[in-house]
Amino acid sequence: MTKVVVHADPDLAELIPGYLANRARDVDALRAALGRGDLEAARIIGHSMKGSGGGYGFDGITEIGAAIEQGAKDSDVQAVIDAVSALADYLQGVEVVYD
Amino acid sequence: MDSNDLQGGGQRVLVVDDDPDMLGLLSVWLKAAGMDVSTAQGGADALARIETVRPHCVLTDLYMEGMDGMMLLTEIHRHDPLMPVIMLSGHAGVPEAVKAMHLGISAFLVKPVEKEVLLQQVTRAMRLSSDGRAGGRFGEGIVYRSTRMAELLDQAELVADSDVTVFITGQTGTGKEVLAMAIHKASPRRDKPFIGVNCGAIPEQLLESELFGHEKGAFTGAAIRHEGLFQAANGGTLFLDEIGDMPLGLQVKLLRVLQDFEVRPVGSVRSVPVNVRIISATHQDLDQAVKRGDFREDLYYRLNVVPLHMPNLAERREDIPALLDFFLDKLAQRRGAKKKRFAPEALEYLLAAPWPGNVRQMQNAVELCATLIKTDIIPLTMAQKALRDETTGIQTLKEARDAFERNYLISVLRITSGRVAEAARIAGRNRTEFYKLLAQHHLDAGEFRKSGSAGIDDPADGPEVATGTDGEA
Repeated sequence: MTKVVVHADPDLAELIPGYLANRARDVDALRAALGRGDLEAARIIGHSMKGSGGGYGFDGITEIGAAIEQGAKDSDVQAVIDAVSALADYLQGVEVVYD
Repeated sequence: MDSNDLQGGGQRVLVVDDDPDMLGLLSVWLKAAGMDVSTAQGGADALARIETVRPHCVLTDLYMEGMDGMMLLTEIHRHDPLMPVIMLSGHAGVPEAVKAMHLGISAFLVKPVEKEVLLQQVTRAMRLSSDGRAGGRFGEGIVYRSTRMAELLDQAELVADSDVTVFITGQTGTGKEVLAMAIHKASPRRDKPFIGVNCGAIPEQLLESELFGHEKGAFTGAAIRHEGLFQAANGGTLFLDEIGDMPLGLQVKLLRVLQDFEVRPVGSVRSVPVNVRIISATHQDLDQAVKRGDFREDLYYRLNVVPLHMPNLAERREDIPALLDFFLDKLAQRRGAKKKRFAPEALEYLLAAPWPGNVRQMQNAVELCATLIKTDIIPLTMAQKALRDETTGIQTLKEARDAFERNYLISVLRITSGRVAEAARIAGRNRTEFYKLLAQHHLDAGEFRKSGSAGIDDPADGPEVATGTDGEA
């Protein structure tokens, strides 16, 4: 688990905990999708994450989302699995500083 | 889009996305920027809310379940073709962006979007919305959205409160008299007269008499005493329009008045004290006029204590939608008819037009469009025609002559207090010809007659806007 410090906009202080909780739920949803071989569902989740991560201050989430989306498009299951792991790690190690 | 008093004056944005995390993020950013934010989860929800929310701008995600961004855009524009819609998408595909542009979006932004980029685009889209802000307490009736005008009005408001002499520059048709009036209304002199005079439209001797007054018999035709505009404006504000056209001989006299606070009517040996606040205006470059020797430097410095500059319409294009809306509104009210709208292509065309005649030209163009079009929506072709016919807003020779003649007649009527016999004599015409001239210009001599015994002029009854400043908005 690598520690990542993210500097976030104080205006978002109320929303960020909820945002990260939703991403944790995404990890479960992604694993479930992979379990049933549903790459399209995984792609959609990755696409959403890609669009919102950077705005909240989490560039890492945008990158991972892009990787999930691309992997799903390429039907590269391993790439998706790797990205989901990376997401789980990221969420464990991320620390938010408001300034 | 009408401004809706129920919602207050804020900038209202409707944000549409079926991803609650995006909705939350965008809301926070827009609220922090001072906007009124409403949200909708999807296209159908957005359409349901749009009637009550009455946004100035819609920000929507492209890809949504059910009704997507494109469909929403089409639906919104069916009811309100001028509503600015910004599209957000996680796909950077050019074909999609182009398609959306053709459907009339204001901007296409790719997610993840940066806060600054988003705010910039929303602010820009707001400007295209026609919900203009009429200047709060100061400058009521002055329509604007631009920062430029806001800053100008802030300055004007600051100086309104004092007696300081104000000098307004700007092209013809930009609204210099409107600004002067706003300053007067915000000043301690607001309950006293505001009198405007066009210094360029009147021959020198007439102008002298008009401004400073004259004694009975001071010149041929001066059968009674006339107090002059300085005295008539006593306690109030005198607006000297086109001051750059004032003959040099009169400039000297004006300078003396501004130094001594006294006027000496033509033909009089006594001076009369006057207490007047001076606002002057010109479209000329008086610096150059001074260098050429056409304008006195000492007078210039005395007039140019606080300079204010009215921007050209081209310098404040952000105000165009609001101004167009204002004129369309006024016309509808005046005629008791339904208010017309410009089609989006017409609006784009008008936004980009050169407008050499400024706001005055726009007022004429809007009137032309609304008059000649029977439908509710004014098409591009009509807008183009209106601007072509207006040519450059420069008057034809006939128009210029007519304006001069009118101003002349008004001046002559003023200084004779509506006595047609004397006015005609001064003008060098017989009574019949003179009455004909008056009729041509829709002037009524009776309006210039003051009550009271012959030979004595009563002081002005109250605030008065002069009618001698034709040719300027």
